[in-house]
Amino acid sequence: MKKLEVFVIPGCARCGTGLEALKEIAESFGPDAFAWEERSLLENIDYAVRLGILSTPAIAVDGKLAFNSLPSPLQLRTELARHVGS
Amino acid sequence: MLTIGKIAELSGLTTDAIRYYEKEGLIAPLQKSGAGYRLYNDDALRRLHFIRQAQQCGFSLAEILQLLTLQHSDASCCSDVRKLAVEKKLQLETRIRDMQAMSSALDALITGCKVDAQPVDQCTILSALEGVPREKT
Repeated sequence: MKKLEVFVIPGCARCGTGLEALKEIAESFGPDAFAWEERSLLENIDYAVRLGILSTPAIAVDGKLAFNSLPSPLQLRTELARHVGS
Repeated sequence: MLTIGKIAELSGLTTDAIRYYEKEGLIAPLQKSGAGYRLYNDDALRRLHFIRQAQQCGFSLAEILQLLTLQHSDASCCSDVRKLAVEKKLQLETRIRDMQAMSSALDALITGCKVDAQPVDQCTILSALEGVPREKT
């Protein structure tokens, strides 16, 4: 199972907008494909810098930065499809 | 009302800087005198202090304009400002990390250079920067 980490700023209401739809896309690859983890950017700032995150919300897949802003559902699906089976 | 010279003195900025901020849309005189001199009020002075403080936190003028716009927008909320502040911190931390890597690279070059008073064509630092290993004599 690969990690899908979503970095958000706690208390930012707009940061969470659209995340549910993206989570459903991750789940559509099956229960064992991706582990969806939401992380506070403030509590993980060193890790976020190592990943190259410059804005939020950001998404890392399998320990690598995939999106520096919220992707569209199609963009996420395309990215995750690349990781399935790799 | 304050002239540009007076507001510069009170804010600790130069008149050139204030004119530049005006050109960038960060500040505007309340009115101009009959002779065409810019005249500012206390709000402008507070705005200049805001700009200076924000610059000290690393914000660019474009980002400061964004902060000032948020400050006067009914549609924005505190989390919008916080998001900008967190993103600025990310930028700064990334720059610090890059600079630490540069500093480490320099450490390696300096440590590798142990020969004094050699001709410059035998300089290990210069050859390392060229990417060509040079035999030490």
